[in-house]
Amino acid sequence: MLKINNLNATIDNKSILNGLCLDINPGEVHAIMGPNGSGKSTLSNILSGKKGYEVSGEVLFEEKDLFELETEERAHKGIFLAFQYPLEIPGVNTNIFLKTSLNAVRKARGEKELDAIEFLKLVKEKSKELKFDEEKLNRQLNVGFSGGEKKKNEILQMSLLAPKLSILDETDSGLDIDALKIVADGVNTLRDKNNSFLIITHYQRLLDYIKPDFVHVLMNGKIVKSGGPDLALELEKKGYENFN
Amino acid sequence: MKEQLQKDFDNSIKNLSLSQKDIEIKKFCLDNFIDKGFPNRKEEDWKFSDLNQIIKNNIGEISFYNDQTSTNKVDTSVFVDGLEHNKIVFINGRIEKIDFEYEKKDQIEIIDQSETINEFKNSNSLSDLNNAFTNKCFKILVKKGYQLVKPLIIYHTTNSKIWSKNINLRLNFELNKDSSLKVIDLFNDTSEKNFLNIFYNFELKENAVLKNYKIDKLENKNIKYSFNNIDQDKNSISETFILSSGSNFSKNEINCNLNGVYASAFVNGVFSLSKDKHHEIRSIINHLTENTKSYQLIKSVLDESSKAVYQGKIFVNSDAQKTDGYQLSKAILLNKKSEFNAKPELEIYADDVKCSHGSASGSLNDDSIFYLMSRGLSYYQSRELLINGFLLDVVEKITDSEIKNLIKNMIGIKE
Ligand SMILES: Nc1ncnc2c1ncn2[C@@H]1O[C@H](COP(=O)(O)OP(=O)(O)O)[C@@H](O)[C@H]1O
Ligand SMILES: [Mg+2]
Repeated sequence: MLKINNLNATIDNKSILNGLCLDINPGEVHAIMGPNGSGKSTLSNILSGKKGYEVSGEVLFEEKDLFELETEERAHKGIFLAFQYPLEIPGVNTNIFLKTSLNAVRKARGEKELDAIEFLKLVKEKSKELKFDEEKLNRQLNVGFSGGEKKKNEILQMSLLAPKLSILDETDSGLDIDALKIVADGVNTLRDKNNSFLIITHYQRLLDYIKPDFVHVLMNGKIVKSGGPDLALELEKKGYENFN
Repeated sequence: MKEQLQKDFDNSIKNLSLSQKDIEIKKFCLDNFIDKGFPNRKEEDWKFSDLNQIIKNNIGEISFYNDQTSTNKVDTSVFVDGLEHNKIVFINGRIEKIDFEYEKKDQIEIIDQSETINEFKNSNSLSDLNNAFTNKCFKILVKKGYQLVKPLIIYHTTNSKIWSKNINLRLNFELNKDSSLKVIDLFNDTSEKNFLNIFYNFELKENAVLKNYKIDKLENKNIKYSFNNIDQDKNSISETFILSSGSNFSKNEINCNLNGVYASAFVNGVFSLSKDKHHEIRSIINHLTENTKSYQLIKSVLDESSKAVYQGKIFVNSDAQKTDGYQLSKAILLNKKSEFNAKPELEIYADDVKCSHGSASGSLNDDSIFYLMSRGLSYYQSRELLINGFLLDVVEKITDSEIKNLIKNMIGIKE
């Protein structure tokens, strides 16, 4: 599904990713762990099409060159990024945003766009599943939301859009255990033989609830070690220092 | 221009039955205007908008005589749907209709003041021009305690019958104690290259409430100047909202005198401009007694090589203790060539006051655009959502919900 081959990225002449390689097959859950500043968010941003990086190397998504796709086309094709720091967007009603987003993606997939009533029914259902306060749907997007609510809103968007590849950039940071379980439930519900996940985290804690197939250690812009779920436990014990 | 002015003036007073004294007053105003000409950038209040130059560039030779002997047909298709309203219809500057069909007839007086000159003064020559050439003037008087059931829409319609002309309009409003009135000025121009020069005077007695919404949204190639003078007694409220968008050039001036305690004035506005449009709002709020309040919020979205100017002055008299004055302007520049100028001015002679001002401009936030696009929205959808979001809080300041929705629709804010 996703093939990253020798990905390099620099910004303002500062090298951030250095020859990163990663393959994700349909249905797989990959976890990436790594210290602050190792390039995890940069990788997520580049996969989603954020501008401003100088990149080289190759990234294929379902055999297509990802760099030829605009940000919104990647979303249409099924790439989703749950932001580490979801943005507050004043004046934009959350419901209107969610509906515009869902219908843009549905339209691109050749599905019927939802009308207001169908949308509301769906979004209420999903909100309930995620214990996302429905009242927030009528607020300005992420404005005045707590850290946890912002993260849940990301997961709500993920479950509405039902992407093929979901990238979760430290979605677990700052969440209490209940919220963490809800996030994990969101992922596990969507998890099937076609949908894949790239889960970026600092803590092995989340991986107790979302069992990854593979764990990778990212340091200084490249993957220095890959393994199974046990690698996360090992990391937790030893710390990153011993992976240099 | 001088000969043209003389000739057009002689033509325009021919049909009026004015006393010799009134004619002298008009002549005096004409001479003042001939002397000063259109305002230019050497005048402090016009330093961002050189009207003389703008008229030269956009209109060229301009004439001042407006033949109003025959009536124009009122095109009802311009009337706003879905909002019951009273009407005043101007077509090419001629008043064609005054209709307060929704109101108690004995609660409103419409007084023809055409035959009595009451000079209008502001700080520039355009008031002289207006005094010299306006030949119909009405006063709308709302009686004590009467609150109009429906808003009044003033249609300013122009069509291609006029060309390179100056049109002068004048209306007076008197809102007596405990009365209220909502006025929407709606511009509808299919003409080009004309200069509209509009003067309104509002007199608000104790507890009176005035809401004035000025909507220049439809794309047109005219030049407009509009001056509102608002005098406010004790406890009165004036709310002005300006949607400044359609004309090639527009300048709205609001002069508000807060004469009575607890009087308050709100001036909010949106500039939504593209091409090489150039619009200005200038407000002067005079806090003349204690416990008066003013609030102003101006938001601009400027594309291509458009330019918006906001000059906001808050004057606080030495008696005006406990004044509360606030103004803020924010602009989004969508293009490197677009420009926003803000000139806040505070002149304060009292010590116990709360006054603040601020101004900010910048481009659309790239991170926000990325966030929205990563959810499948196109660049234009994202941009539109952000712009509407940016404008929402100023539109939300409109206190009349029906009119608020009308304006939201015009701007394209969906809910
Ligand atoms: N826009 C930027 N400009 C300059 N340096 C950046 C920018 N974004 C990230 N970096 C740098 O790149 C490195 C990796 O950042 P990031 O990908 O956010 O790391 P992580 O998510 O792993 O904490 C850091 O050293 C960070 O300072
Ligand atoms: Mg990060």
